[in-house]
Amino acid sequence: MSQILPTAEPFFFPGSGKNAKIGCLVQHGFTGTPKEVRWLGEYLNGRGYAVCGMRLTGHATQPEDMIRSRYPDWLASVEDGFNLLRSSCEQVFLLGLSMGGILSLTSASRLPVKGVVAMSTPYNLPADPRLKYLKLISKFIPFMPKGKGEPGHGWFDKDVWKQHVAYPENPVRSIAELNALLVIMRASLPNVKVPVLIIHSRNDDYVIKGSMDAIYDAIGSTDKQKMWVEGGGHVITEEPTRHVVFKAAAEFVERVSRT
Amino acid sequence: MRGMGEYLNRQGFTVCGIRLAGHATQPADMLRVRWRDWLASVEDGYHLLRSCTDEIYLAGLSLGGMLALTFASRFPVAGVIAMSTPYSHPTDGRLKFARLLGWFKPYLPKGGGPGSGWFGDVWKEHVAYPAYPVRSLGELGQLMDVLHAALLQVKSPVLLISSRNDHPRICQSMEKIHARLGSADKQMVWIDGSGHTITEEPQREIVFQTATEFIFRLNPTGL
Repeated sequence: MSQILPTAEPFFFPGSGKNAKIGCLVQHGFTGTPKEVRWLGEYLNGRGYAVCGMRLTGHATQPEDMIRSRYPDWLASVEDGFNLLRSSCEQVFLLGLSMGGILSLTSASRLPVKGVVAMSTPYNLPADPRLKYLKLISKFIPFMPKGKGEPGHGWFDKDVWKQHVAYPENPVRSIAELNALLVIMRASLPNVKVPVLIIHSRNDDYVIKGSMDAIYDAIGSTDKQKMWVEGGGHVITEEPTRHVVFKAAAEFVERVSRT
Repeated sequence: MRGMGEYLNRQGFTVCGIRLAGHATQPADMLRVRWRDWLASVEDGYHLLRSCTDEIYLAGLSLGGMLALTFASRFPVAGVIAMSTPYSHPTDGRLKFARLLGWFKPYLPKGGGPGSGWFGDVWKEHVAYPAYPVRSLGELGQLMDVLHAALLQVKSPVLLISSRNDHPRICQSMEKIHARLGSADKQMVWIDGSGHTITEEPQREIVFQTATEFIFRLNPTGL
C-alpha cells in the first residue's frame, strides 16, 4: 500500500573512500520524481560521494497531492536533503534538474552549499496572459496537458522515455507556485556566490532558449560556467546526453571540493 | 527524536530522523497537510534507509508512534517502537467538525502554562509549534480511525513505551494498542518520572536502552 510511485522512491547512498564526506543532493523537477536523477546519483556514488535524492512535497504520489503543495514546501524538501547530508558530510553540493535547478540555485543563496550544478533550468516561463490568473483558473481547471504533440514528444530515446516516471499532466495551481518560485530565484541569483555549472541541451523544447545565458549573467559567483549538450531533450539526466552530463558534474564536484 | 537517534547511532545503527510534512517550519504550513502526507514522509524515511541498510526499525513518538504502527501494517519492517502513542479520540464532539471549525479558528492553544506536564527543565529547549492547527487535529482524528483498522494487520514485533505520568488517555491507550496488535511478539513498558515527550524527559536514557535491547534481542548476531 505504497503511496510513493514504485521505482520513484527517494534514496540515500552513503559515501566511501576519499570522497565519503562530500555529499551530493540530486534534485528532481516539476511533476517529476527522484527516479529522473537516480542514475546521476548512482554515477556520483560510484565515485565515492555520498548521495541523497529527496522527494519534493506533493511529488511522486498522486497529482492531487501536488495541488496542495506550495513552493516553500519544495524549498523545505531541498533543505531537508541538505540537512540529511550535512549530518554525515563536510561539504554539500546541490545538483538539480529543471525546477530542481531553480530550487538548487535559490537554496545556494541561503544555505552553506559548496557548489551548484543546474541542469535544464528555466529562467522564466513563456509569456502567457493566463499566468496572472492561474490561481483562479485552477479552481475550474485543475490540470493542463504537458507540452505539444503525442506522448514521448521531445524525447530522443523512446525506451528511456518509457521508463520515465512523472505526473501525466501539470497541476494548474502548481504552475502558479512555479512562477512565484522563479521570481524568488531571479532575485536570489546575485546572492549566489559559490561555483556554479549550468548545463542545457540545444534540443530542449521546454526551456526558453536564452535561459542559460540569463542565469549565467545574473549569478553573483566568479566561478561559473555554461555547457551545452546535444542529442537529448529536456531530461538530460536520462536521455543519451546523460553520460556527458554525469562526467561534467562529477568533474565539477571533484574540482570544487578540492578548493 | 535527535537524542534517541544519536544514542542508537552510538550503538552502531544507521539512523534517519525525518521531518513530517508541514512540521518544523511555520504553523501555517501544517494547515495544508493531510495525514496521508505524514505517512508519505515516513515512507520517505523508510526508502532513504532501505537504500543503505538491510533491516528497518521504526521508532515513533506520539503521532510518530501512530504513523509507525500504521506504516508497519503496510510495509515489511523488522520492528516498531511506539512511544507515548494515543489510541482514542479526546471526547470532544467538535473533532468531527475540525475542518469547518478550522476556517474560523485556525489554531487551538496548547493547554496549561509553559512547561506544564513536563518534568525538569528540558521543555525549555524543546522545539514545537506553540498551538495546534485545528485542521490538523481533524487529520489526527482520521488517522486514528486508520490506526484502529491497521493494528490487527501489524505482525512485526512491537515495543510500546509510555509514561505513567502522561495524560490518562495516553496511559489507557497503550493497553488498548497492545490488546489489538496482530503481532505475536509485543510488550508494554512503563516509565516513571517523565511527562509525554519521553525521548527528552529525565528518564529518556531508560527509553533509549529499552529500545536498543529490543533491537538487539531481535538481532542477536547484531553488529
